[in-house]
Amino acid sequence: MDGMSDDFIKGLIPEVIFPYSTPSRFGRIIGEIKNSDTHPGHRRLTGFRCPVRRRTMLKKVLSGIALSVLIAGGAAPPAGAVTLMAWGKHIAKEGNGTPGSTACMECHRLKGGGMPSIGAPRIAGQPRRYIAREIREVQAGKRYGPVMSGVVQNLSRRDIQAVALYYSRVHSPKIRDVGEPDPSHVSKGRRIATRGLWKKNIPACVQCHGPDGYGVPPLFPYIAGQNRTYLLRQLMAYAFLKRQDDPQGLMRGIARRLTPEERKAVAEYFSSLHPPDRDAP
Amino acid sequence: MTVGRTFLGAFIVVAMVLSSVDRAWSGPVEVMQGSEIFTPPPDSEIPAGPFGDLVRKGEKIFTQTGRFAGKYVGAENKMTCESCHLDRGRKPYSAPLWGAYVMYPRYRSKNHMVNKLDERIQGCFRFSMNGTAPPVTSDTVKALIAYSFWMSRGAPVGVRLKGAGLVKLPPPARPPSLFRGKKVYAARCALCHGAHGQGRTSHGGQVFPPVWGNGSYNKGAGFYKIDKLAGFIKMNMPLSKGDSLTDQESWDVAAYVDSQPRPADPRKLVRR
Repeated sequence: MDGMSDDFIKGLIPEVIFPYSTPSRFGRIIGEIKNSDTHPGHRRLTGFRCPVRRRTMLKKVLSGIALSVLIAGGAAPPAGAVTLMAWGKHIAKEGNGTPGSTACMECHRLKGGGMPSIGAPRIAGQPRRYIAREIREVQAGKRYGPVMSGVVQNLSRRDIQAVALYYSRVHSPKIRDVGEPDPSHVSKGRRIATRGLWKKNIPACVQCHGPDGYGVPPLFPYIAGQNRTYLLRQLMAYAFLKRQDDPQGLMRGIARRLTPEERKAVAEYFSSLHPPDRDAP
Repeated sequence: MTVGRTFLGAFIVVAMVLSSVDRAWSGPVEVMQGSEIFTPPPDSEIPAGPFGDLVRKGEKIFTQTGRFAGKYVGAENKMTCESCHLDRGRKPYSAPLWGAYVMYPRYRSKNHMVNKLDERIQGCFRFSMNGTAPPVTSDTVKALIAYSFWMSRGAPVGVRLKGAGLVKLPPPARPPSLFRGKKVYAARCALCHGAHGQGRTSHGGQVFPPVWGNGSYNKGAGFYKIDKLAGFIKMNMPLSKGDSLTDQESWDVAAYVDSQPRPADPRKLVRR
């Protein structure tokens, strides 16, 4: 994909085995579709191919499910990624079925547009490896995430792969921020974003996050069109809290050297941009 | 804040130490004394009118060389001037333009003659950009000279300014090792420059420059000399964390990078 060796990626992403995870979950999925009622949402996705003799039972199971789910299940998933993609969508929509599991769409929306009012980030089209890595880092306690730490604790490694694949491939229009950005912040933020603050050894944001903040896969996320509450919160977390998952501490150093006004300015600038269309893999 | 100050303090201490190293190595050339590193004028002071236009054009060529001076850049080359001269040619110890401008004309052993700045710029295109030398009368050279001239406004002429050029590291304690260098590269460089030195792209455009291979500088370039590359890496890499590698690590990783395949030195190609 990008010439990065698997060994190298493994070095960047320590495998984390969380005590509550259920690593074999995905291996059982196919069986569950056929044999149990625990994943009715997933059943919908393959439901049209169910044998006739199972239809009656199927209808009983589905009777409690909202009409919207029935309609959404109608589209055939793209060939080649059927199972992982479908499972990812299922988790996004309904959680992974473990007790207390939370659907990603509660905050990130089904199409990954995020929720600016509470600072839930836009994740649609973010690189697959990046999404998976960040979930693992939250599980490991290296990425500060007071909300996410509870939400992702029951995700297995396979669940993470599935949900990362799903959200890396969905499209979403930009969800507008609450209120308009301050123009003076935006123009100050643009200078920092495109020129840097080299007196403080801060490179231009776009030197690593790509022109216009469109991201550099696999590990530099796009930040264009991201909501400003999220961006500012992450800069604060890098600077003062326990967000420590950045490779080599690059973002921690930069976030600390920015003043509060500068952090706000770059957050408002990038939130004022349009997010990239889905990136190449 | 405290961390920021500590960092700044460390930077100043290192800069002072290095300036003494500079003095020891610079031979007959006078080095500017004093604690301040020259600050080039801000962009807001680029004047309106034809001179300002030429300066701005120079900056565009500098930061997007393939787009604005493509005919002089090698076909597969993915570098820009800014790949090596960081912060649009302003950053100390990454061969800033304000440090270079005031030192030309000067003798260079590379071609055994007194070079003018335009001839030096031609060398950049021929070797680092693996392309062809733009004529000294070309718009490309004129714009780049104007950009350098404007940036060095107010700097004393004919002296080696503090922060000019690259740091000259003391000889390594142990001979540079490709084995150790490869480890340093994987841990500290591959995140941006890729495990195969290919750099990284975003939406089709090059973001991190390739450090070897067909897209990178050729074997005639200054960075093909391990001491120069080590000095650059030491003070500038990884971006925003300059001076975090030890001298030995800088030597090792420079040796590793320069041991990888890259285009040949055009002076050594057999013409038929």
